[in-house]
Order: sequence, then C-alpha cells, then structure tokens
Amino acid sequence: MPAQIFVNLPIRDLKVSMDFYESLGYRHNPQFTDETAACIVISETIHVMLLTHDKFKGFTPKAIADATKVTEVLLCLSCDNREEVNTMVAKALAAGGSKSQDPIDYGFMYLHSFQDPDGHMWEVFCMNQQDQSDVNSRNS
Amino acid sequence: MPTQIFVSLPVRNLQDSTRFYESLGYRKNSQFSDDTVSSFDISETVHLMLATHDKFRELTPKQIGDPSKVCHSLLSLSCESREEVDSIVSKAIAAGGSEAHDPEDHGFMYQYGFYDLDGHGWGVFWFASPAES
Repeated sequence: MPAQIFVNLPIRDLKVSMDFYESLGYRHNPQFTDETAACIVISETIHVMLLTHDKFKGFTPKAIADATKVTEVLLCLSCDNREEVNTMVAKALAAGGSKSQDPIDYGFMYLHSFQDPDGHMWEVFCMNQQDQSDVNSRNS
Repeated sequence: MPTQIFVSLPVRNLQDSTRFYESLGYRKNSQFSDDTVSSFDISETVHLMLATHDKFRELTPKQIGDPSKVCHSLLSLSCESREEVDSIVSKAIAAGGSEAHDPEDHGFMYQYGFYDLDGHGWGVFWFASPAES
C-alpha cells in the first residue's frame, strides 16, 4: 500500500473548518470524524485531520502556534491545470479563507495560494502543460 | 495524475537536516534540490522539502515559528508494519532526533513518533488492513 500522509492541523472551530474544506470540494471521512476531529480526504494517500485545540493538545506538550502570525510548515497541493488552481483559490476566498500571496507564473509552473480560516497556508500549483507532458513521456 | 503534496519545513542547518532524513531511508531528489532546499520523495505522491530559513522567508511573510516551543501542525506517515514504525523512530533517534512519545499499541493501529533536529514532529503509524483486523 502506498505511504499515506495525515496532516494534523489545530483549528478553532471544527464546523467552520469542515465547511471550509468541503467548500473546496473535499469530503470528510465519517469513520474518522467526531466532535473533536474531522478527517478530510484530499486523495487516496493524502488526508488532513482538523483537530480542535483541546484534541490537538493531547498530541503535543508544546503550545499551539497561532497560524495567523507564525508559520512552521507550508503545504502545497498539485492541480491538473491553471483553471483548477484558480478555482481552488476562488472557492477558498468565497468560503471564508483569506488571500495569501499573489499568483506567480514561473513559466514551467503556475503557483497560487490561500489561507484557511485559522491562517494555515496552502499553496496550489500546476505544471506548465508542455512540461508536464514532457515529464509524463519521460516516465512512461 | 494523482494529487501530489509537497510539505515544506524550515530548517536551521540544511546539510544536517538532509543527512537526518537520508538516515531514515529517504532519498534526496537532486533535480529539485539546491543549496537552499533539499527535496525528498517520501512516496509517489508525498514529498518533503527542507528549506533554509532564508528560503522559507521568501515563501511566507509570517514569522517562522520555533518548533521546539510551539506546534503548528503534526505530520503522520503510514508504514507497512509495526517493525517499520519502530525502525524509523530508532533511526531518527540515532540520527540526532528525539522520541516524541512512547509507542502506543491500539491493536488495530500502532503509532510512535519522533522530533527531527529542528523539533518538527512526525508521527509514524501502522494501521491494520480490513483483512488483518
């Protein structure tokens, strides 16, 4: 089975955060969701666990960082094309997220970003279609 | 193409941290690494990017949190067996990391954890498949 990653994020309001991530098009896995945590399924191998602060404190003796002020991790997800990147950011802003950085077009890659209601930063990117085709051809 | 995730972590010493993650068995992807970033392929869809603090500051206007004092997120990776879980944590400790907590055996799930050289916390766990549980 391919390695799976669970990204555990502390959040202030579970319902607000669940609504936010579901607005982006992700469903939650009810098997791993209760009143203290929600499992958001990004893909077969990528999951985000939204944990109330009380729940999160059970996993670490450290203070919970205020994600609106400090960053310790950047999370970046791939998309298939530029439209999907822009749509994801638009949905995030409409759902209560906030702007992060302006989009950047590197030529070979297009990158945009947003912050969730707690300030956790997400980048979304796509490779230039020709570069992606070249990569796919080399890998096949 | 399956969704890919790139997890970027700020590190104080890129060489030391690169050696640390290589000690865990992960291979550095030279194509996406330079003197400011080390890229690791954890799996086909999960990638780790270690970035110097200077590089990380280019990516965010926020202050870089001190992971030895505050916790912003916890990253958990699945393993194929209990033995693999223990092996990764042992390797992490031998390479200069530290144990995050005692191993926890819930029967259907076994989990352990370590802190890397900067204090970033990683959980490693094995989860029984439906046939095994």
